[in-house]
Amino acid sequence: MTADTISAIIVSGLVLGSVYALMASGLSMIWTTLGIFNFAHGALMTLGAYVAWTISNSAGLGLGLAAGMAVSIAALIGAGILIERIVVRPFYDHRDILLITVMTTLATMIFLEKGIQLIWGARLKQLAPIIPGKVQLFRTTISAQETLIIVVAPLLLGALWLFLRNSRTGRGIRAVGQNPDAARLIGIDVSRLFIITFAMSAVLAGLTGVLLGSVRLLTPDFGDEPLVKALIIVIFGGLGSLSGTIVAAYLMGVVEAALTFFIGIYWAPSIVFLLLIAVLLFRPQGLMGKVAR
Amino acid sequence: MSEPANALEISGLRAGYDASDVLLGIQMHVGASERVGLFGPNGHGKTTLLNTISRVIRPRAGDVRFMGEPISGLPPQKIVERGLIHVPQANRLFPDMQVLETLELAAFTPRARSDLKQNLDYVLALFPRLAERRSQQCKTLSGGERQMLSIGVGLMCAPRMLMLDEPTLGLSPKLKDELADAIAGISSRGIPLLLVEQDIAFILSLVDRMYLVDHGEISREINRGGEVDHQEIMDMYFGSEGAS
Repeated sequence: MTADTISAIIVSGLVLGSVYALMASGLSMIWTTLGIFNFAHGALMTLGAYVAWTISNSAGLGLGLAAGMAVSIAALIGAGILIERIVVRPFYDHRDILLITVMTTLATMIFLEKGIQLIWGARLKQLAPIIPGKVQLFRTTISAQETLIIVVAPLLLGALWLFLRNSRTGRGIRAVGQNPDAARLIGIDVSRLFIITFAMSAVLAGLTGVLLGSVRLLTPDFGDEPLVKALIIVIFGGLGSLSGTIVAAYLMGVVEAALTFFIGIYWAPSIVFLLLIAVLLFRPQGLMGKVAR
Repeated sequence: MSEPANALEISGLRAGYDASDVLLGIQMHVGASERVGLFGPNGHGKTTLLNTISRVIRPRAGDVRFMGEPISGLPPQKIVERGLIHVPQANRLFPDMQVLETLELAAFTPRARSDLKQNLDYVLALFPRLAERRSQQCKTLSGGERQMLSIGVGLMCAPRMLMLDEPTLGLSPKLKDELADAIAGISSRGIPLLLVEQDIAFILSLVDRMYLVDHGEISREINRGGEVDHQEIMDMYFGSEGAS
């Protein structure tokens, strides 16, 4: 194995891992706080990219990428709130909330993807890169946009970690996840924090979409593959552990990059799944997981 | 400003879970700076009563007034904001949070936050054990320490009245005495108290007045100094109705 190979694997693993970490941390936050999976998370990523495209691209409004990102973030805050209100909130007191919300969020995913197809059509689109050009990283040349992803993801995740650890709202969100009844009794408005959690998670998904939308091509099912990967990463990293999710995301990125390099793009995903199943057989709680809530 | 006579007034309160009613019309009150006990067998509605007052569960009928104002329609966080604080039974709190972090978080409402510093000093002086364990996670605490933290959390909410649900559940006699002293200290600051307990000696040492809760109703009111009818209490526990 040459140094060039190692460099290529690490760099492409970091790009993948960063994308996975951004996607999975939003899902993980929702699981930890509300105890449900949001299957519409991938469609939110797609929506974020399409909204940014319409605002920024010259075939749309042509207002530039900064405006595109701002509108996209605003739209996703709205979408996150709507999803929480319409398809999750009515079932909070239901004892089968986990299964019911699997159905309602899957339905939302289909609704959003078909809606996107109706509005924007099936023709491939691509966002302009935030930073154009190429960058040499170690011994590998990648696009500046991919380098940006590698740099921005840890910054965003670090900011998320600081928010959850130090801010009053962030601490409140953790408290609600650990014991909603006790949280209520110290005066925390639990349902308000549920909405904030959903909105933040949606924004994370949308930002992932905007960052990735100039590296990959936009289609209405743009978010499907990242959603599936993110779901697996949340389980693999350990339910209820944000740090576990992030470690698992980067690990999975590097392993996937290595497998793609050595055995090719067709078999790599299957082998990744096989490895995950093997790990979960010996560590059912995941890498850093606690006993499921 | 005229102080209302009673801190808490409850009339005709009904509540329950799913199809069954647990509380069948509770009528009671707690006076300003009064200490009142709730006593009775398990499963007769004491915990449900506290949960209904703090609105963890919704009342089906009846009226709850705190400091003269109706609160039965308010969400739980508004009730906490007004200063009616419920310390629930066997609260496991926030397992992954540290002790000090939990206490700081508990001063969540704006009113409690403005008193954070002095309340924290008070709690750490009241329970020096919590000061020693300040950077430990809640899940690593012993039963007694967790109970102290639960009460400490209640105090951080800046209570104008405290409702304690079996604060000594499962504790050793020595710890019970420690907690009894702490609770007496809290109520000596003029904070009205509603205390649920199974231990008759413990509850009698702390309260001015006591209600017996029986099958979802208040069956008797016992004033301090009044004779406690041990036979009646035995009857309640062992269901020997008609045997006396």
